Amino acid sequence: MALKAAQKQIVAKAQARAGVVAPRVVKGSRSVRMAVQARAFNAVQIPLAVRRVCGSASRRSNMVVMAAAVKDGAVLPEGRKLRVAVIGGGPSGACAAETLAQGGVEAFLIERKMDNCKPCGGAIPLCMVQEFDLPQEIIDRKVTKMKMISPSNREVDVGKTLSETEYIGMCRREVMDDYLRKRAEKDGANIINGLMMKMEQPVADGPITIHYNGYAEGSKIGTPATLEVDLVIGADGANSRVAKEIDAGEYDYAIAFQERIRIPDDKMKYYENLAEMYVGDDVSPDFYGWVFPKYDHVAVGTGTVVNKTAIKQYQQATRDRAKVKTEGGKIIRVEAHPIPEHPRPRRCKGRVALVGDAAGYVTKCSGEGIYFAAKSGRMCAEAIVEASENGKKMCGESAIRVYLDKWDRKYWTTYKVLDILQKVFYRSNPAREAFVEMCEDSYVQKMTFDSYLYKTVVPGNPLDDVKLLVNTVASIVRANALRAADSKSVDVNFGSKATEEFQARATA
Amino acid sequence: MMLTRKAAPSVQGARIASAARPARAIRLAVRAEDGAAATKERKLGPLEKGGTLSGAAAAGKDASTKAVAAFTGASATGNYLQLRDGRFIDDRWVGGRWDLSKFAAANGETDWDAVIDAEMARRRLLEESPIPSTNEEPVLFDTSEIPWWAWVRRFHLPEAEKLNGRACMVGYFLALVVDQLTGYGLVDQQESFLGKLLLHITVFGVLLVRSTADLDKYKNLLDEATFYDKQWQATWAGVPRPSETEQ
Repeated sequence: MALKAAQKQIVAKAQARAGVVAPRVVKGSRSVRMAVQARAFNAVQIPLAVRRVCGSASRRSNMVVMAAAVKDGAVLPEGRKLRVAVIGGGPSGACAAETLAQGGVEAFLIERKMDNCKPCGGAIPLCMVQEFDLPQEIIDRKVTKMKMISPSNREVDVGKTLSETEYIGMCRREVMDDYLRKRAEKDGANIINGLMMKMEQPVADGPITIHYNGYAEGSKIGTPATLEVDLVIGADGANSRVAKEIDAGEYDYAIAFQERIRIPDDKMKYYENLAEMYVGDDVSPDFYGWVFPKYDHVAVGTGTVVNKTAIKQYQQATRDRAKVKTEGGKIIRVEAHPIPEHPRPRRCKGRVALVGDAAGYVTKCSGEGIYFAAKSGRMCAEAIVEASENGKKMCGESAIRVYLDKWDRKYWTTYKVLDILQKVFYRSNPAREAFVEMCEDSYVQKMTFDSYLYKTVVPGNPLDDVKLLVNTVASIVRANALRAADSKSVDVNFGSKATEEFQARATA
Repeated sequence: MMLTRKAAPSVQGARIASAARPARAIRLAVRAEDGAAATKERKLGPLEKGGTLSGAAAAGKDASTKAVAAFTGASATGNYLQLRDGRFIDDRWVGGRWDLSKFAAANGETDWDAVIDAEMARRRLLEESPIPSTNEEPVLFDTSEIPWWAWVRRFHLPEAEKLNGRACMVGYFLALVVDQLTGYGLVDQQESFLGKLLLHITVFGVLLVRSTADLDKYKNLLDEATFYDKQWQATWAGVPRPSETEQ
């Protein structure tokens, strides 16, 4: 008898979880894994015993526990709105909070530093300006020309195919992040200045308690506080604490190093709407060095995955290559930051989701992350709003997995194409020479910019594609043929043992 | 010895002749003196006589352009593959590209091998010591300026020869072994399906696997091609995608 009841319990629970059956509060036996303290809505603390209960003895405590635990798909009790905490107030967090607030969900955005200048290239594609309605004021410069410079200093002007209205926007992260956060606040999100310390979910399907240090106005010392929410979106960047909390796993990352240099006006004129990309073994074994114009200075930087300890050498080499063009410049700031190379092994767990850099949504080859961060924040929030029917019902992992699936299906092609480009063209110096040679072709330029600015892989004329393939192979073959027999350059392997292999071959 | 004899033969001859036959000697002496006067303008010096050649036609050529320049007092030699003050300097490198007219071979056509060599050397030099990129001296040389047959002749043909040789050696040896084992001759082997199959395997095997390093390369390629995909699908381990369950 008890067994049948128990079996019915399991079936009912499974059905409720799958959202198939109209949810009902499950009475009767229920097992709790650990001894916990549950906090009910009116903040009364009720200790729970760890036992399987099948009777009325502790029914009251059971019902309190079950009232706190709301299954996915259940209507939220007392008509309250769904509460979501977004940890991190960068592009991904702010866009997630904005979409949640617009959808009728109560959003709490927790950001530790409201005037943070995150070290960043700061380049945003045109589709970001269009899709996220960014005003022209936050764009400092519109880059319409790009120069690619090969290891032997062969230069190619990329950007001949851009139309009058197309550009790459260069912006200051502190300005853009602040604008997005203020916009989320106007839509109804609660912005909290604080640093998340810990996150815990005592009861399965119950609320999540976030312990954070709140910073009052201008204060440097935080006061501990807690916040109770139903879901958490981790948008706290490459060193995500949320990811650590949910044991999302590690990822390979590149270290990006950047120096901001103020150069004389006549040299700055050259960089007015031009960005440069330097490729070569000296500049980086598996990435590129860049000179990006900011509002009144240029940012010269480089990055690497396989040889992080030599990053300062690569930076010196990048500065040397741009030495003549940045002569008389003064370094005003030095900064570095990790860039994820691939998504984390687990991008969600229970009712906690990761978006943006925290999830690892940075493309290979170009290292672009801002647009994908903002878009993933928005898509995650949209999935939550839809599954919760505008904040009226509880939702959980299934809703988050819907967002993950949609994301994978929409952007997998883009990521894979950039991965293939990196593997083919960043492999060795001859490959980079071939890369720069290929970029001279106007068809290549058009395809590259179309896919970068609008994030759609537009299939071109098949005949042109075949010609492109033939030209690519020819370029690579020629460049490899021109490699001297005693060349000491080391090829990069982009497989699973990239770093170890590179170090082994470099020292051999 | 030869020199002294040649230097004053007429005078000695005249003396000897005059001792033996006085009358004819005088005539000889006169003729000899005439000849001596004429030879001083027409006869070649020792450096020119005796098959002495110079320049490119000589078996050994000029010591070096630098030595010639030093000897003739001409200006110092031109520049050849040099990096000075952060600039690449070479007499044949003009305006950011190789001036093909300076690579003219003997018959006036461009010596493409020399162009390829020069570009290889330039890239090697810049790999060792990179130089800054400047707006005043952009690099404009494109390797597609070198015609396709020059690449084929220089790089593909030697490799093709080597691979064909390998395929022939392996194939012939295996044919002999099969002949010994089965009794089928070389021609008979190829008429059977198995023979044709083994022939194809040999040829393509030699083409694809040129050395043992190639096997590692292919294994590596497979790892590289699938690594990124695995990283993206890690979050779906054991969990079906919503789009799949819908269908």
